[in-house]
Amino acid sequence: MEENAKRNRVDLDRLPIKRLDAIDEAGNEQFPPDVSHEEKRLGMIRRIDFSNVVAENTDTRKKQKKSPKEAAPAPQPAWPWQGLVENLQLAHQELSIIIDLINTVEANDAVAVAGMQRPKQLPNEILSDLAVSAATKLQRLRNLGRYFKQSSKAMEQKVSKEARFYGSLIRLQQHWKVKRQRLLAAGPGSEGFTFDMLDNPADTTMISRPSPIGVVRVLHETAGLLAIQRPQRSCRSISIRYLGTNFSSKQKATGNIYGSDESPQADKKEALTDEDVNSWVKDTHSALREIHRSIFLEQVFDRVNRESYSPSPGINVTGMREDFLQLAIDPDTSICLCLVSSMNEDDIQMIDSRRHPQNGENGLTRPDSSASANTNEDNDSLKMNKFGVPNPVSLEIYLLHVFHKNFHVKVKERHFATRASVPGQALADSCGLSHFCKTVAHRIFSNKVLAEIECLVSRIPYLQLLSHPTWHSRTSSWSLSLKFPESIFHAGCLSKYSNIYDVKHLTRSQFHTKIVVKDDQVTVSGEGAPGILSSFRGISADVFSVSCYGCDLDDLPLVLLQQIAGQIIHWLHEEALVVGMKVSRDFLCLYFDVDQGDMLGLVAHVDPHDVDGCISWWLIMEDGLTEDGKFSREKGEYENRRFLGHLSLEALYSLLMDLVNLCSTTGSH
Amino acid sequence: MNKAAGGGGGGGGPTAAAAAAAAQKQKTLLQRVDADVTNIVDNFNQLVNLARVNDPPVRNSQEAFQMEIRAARMVQAAESLRNLVSELKQTAMFSGFGSLNENVDRRIAEFNRLEEGSERLLERVGEQAAASLKELEAHYYSSVLRTSPSEGS
Repeated sequence: MEENAKRNRVDLDRLPIKRLDAIDEAGNEQFPPDVSHEEKRLGMIRRIDFSNVVAENTDTRKKQKKSPKEAAPAPQPAWPWQGLVENLQLAHQELSIIIDLINTVEANDAVAVAGMQRPKQLPNEILSDLAVSAATKLQRLRNLGRYFKQSSKAMEQKVSKEARFYGSLIRLQQHWKVKRQRLLAAGPGSEGFTFDMLDNPADTTMISRPSPIGVVRVLHETAGLLAIQRPQRSCRSISIRYLGTNFSSKQKATGNIYGSDESPQADKKEALTDEDVNSWVKDTHSALREIHRSIFLEQVFDRVNRESYSPSPGINVTGMREDFLQLAIDPDTSICLCLVSSMNEDDIQMIDSRRHPQNGENGLTRPDSSASANTNEDNDSLKMNKFGVPNPVSLEIYLLHVFHKNFHVKVKERHFATRASVPGQALADSCGLSHFCKTVAHRIFSNKVLAEIECLVSRIPYLQLLSHPTWHSRTSSWSLSLKFPESIFHAGCLSKYSNIYDVKHLTRSQFHTKIVVKDDQVTVSGEGAPGILSSFRGISADVFSVSCYGCDLDDLPLVLLQQIAGQIIHWLHEEALVVGMKVSRDFLCLYFDVDQGDMLGLVAHVDPHDVDGCISWWLIMEDGLTEDGKFSREKGEYENRRFLGHLSLEALYSLLMDLVNLCSTTGSH
Repeated sequence: MNKAAGGGGGGGGPTAAAAAAAAQKQKTLLQRVDADVTNIVDNFNQLVNLARVNDPPVRNSQEAFQMEIRAARMVQAAESLRNLVSELKQTAMFSGFGSLNENVDRRIAEFNRLEEGSERLLERVGEQAAASLKELEAHYYSSVLRTSPSEGS
């Protein structure tokens, strides 16, 4: 019926519901009497007719409601809104019934709902219900799936982070002592792991003060990277500096301390590859090494400080502050030992938070500053090298070496009660600082000695200087070598006198003078030259005896010159003997017996301050009557003396040969 | 050493206690693993059960809540398992004394080798420097440059 009405498109009432009239006490619903199809049709026709639809159909339209919008287009001859007013009145009645019911239910006044049957659902309704609930469930399950996916992603991240962290930790554990402290675990971002940087916590002699930087905390970074919390003052190193200059051991070292520490992956937090993690671990490892090194340096400095309290030879403390010690090596030279921070605070911050992008800027500015430092240092080093002081860098290395050997190795080898030690090292073992100071003093002194010797050698062309490394820090050794020209008679002599003379008595072609400096003691030993004592006593000098005597720095050039001149005289003497001359020698003079009683003397004159050549030669004629020669006023010199100048060995030899001729001619007269 | 002492003491002593503690710990860990896995499986079962479309649609929101709870419990159990794994890792790291000692020994050997190598290197460098110095000195003092002034004088 309703479908027909819809098909005819004449029914303006959209609520074709069968309205309930009333519910009796037994719960029976009372519906209004059914309107027959014909009646309805008639009514509809009438409605289309619009004559007096409202008046005639009041009984059928009592249960129908009309919306004002729908009723509006209906044209009314008398008053067009009559139908609307009636419809609204009906709706109002229905609403008041419903409100009554609600009030009754709210008041709970004897309302009893009798067993109501659920209206039988249509199949399509059932299906749509099912579809709705299936769709809802599907939605729920999808949500769950999303939740699981998120959780699994988070967990995966966590797992990979942990894998990274523990992988790094295990790798670092192979090199460092890792400790787990449950108390520390409460801290944010920390797992309670620490690196114990102290070598020998049980050994109290090693650690003079408990180092605050001995424990390095491990932080768990957000990307699973292992970071360390760098302790304060963890980048310190020993600097050795000469007092009054900038010539220190540190300028060069700062450049490469943290050269490799700028992590390339700082910016890309995401998508960390294995190489990034590797380099991160390496950086951390090198940072730990720096800290470890810093601890060692602090210990060394502490130890140096301690030793400076106890008076021992060689140690002369002239100044002391926190992290600063000034030692006088000799009256002119003092060195300062200080613990300096090898990087400024900004750099430390940078290492701590390596992920900030300003790292690059810091890294760029550093080479410039180090370059300028280098030029300064070069100037200073040039200046200081004139004074002949050793390079502070090598001093620093040596200081560390001494203390490492003395204390670390000693601790390690403590159980070897009777350790065979080098005799020279025994003193060093007893006091590292004393040994160090003596070494520095020795190096400075030996440089002065070397300068003197080199000065001599540069003035005497036939002298050769040979260095002999001693491999001991407080001993230096050089030798001066004189190589004589080959005698022209040498070969002949050898064949002629081989039966008579021992080979020993043949002329030597080479003489050595050895200069050994131990601490500040210079010892000159040489062969072939008789000492002054033997010449005074008239003892004939044994050719191959080695004379050995100590001297100080001022006497050294003179002593050496005497030694060398003595050797030359010795050589000339031997050569003269070989050619059969009558010669005698007296310290630095060689006397040729020219005529009866007449002696011709070849005298060596040594003068260390002579810049042209330190050994000059004089020829002296002595007739045996007068002690001193007559002074000739015209020539401005002694008549019987002739200055020969600074002769080379070849010239001396040819002079000797000339004298041979002279002697032989005078001898034949 | 402890073992020997413990053996002498008739089974008591620190080693036995440590072994007992270790066994206890292992047991606890296994129990935790079991509990977590059971938790996950149970909750998953429940989830599967809840996935069925029920007849009265009014219970939908209740079911949704249940599903969320189950899922959260599963995730929690998985997290607990992960924690357990990291605990195991830590234990492996800090209690594997054998491997730790082995590591230390290896490091010591490596450092000794390095030390020897450095010393040898230093020796060689020193010797080379000495030889070069000797050679240079000999060369210099026998060179024309050096001997020529003697002709002049």
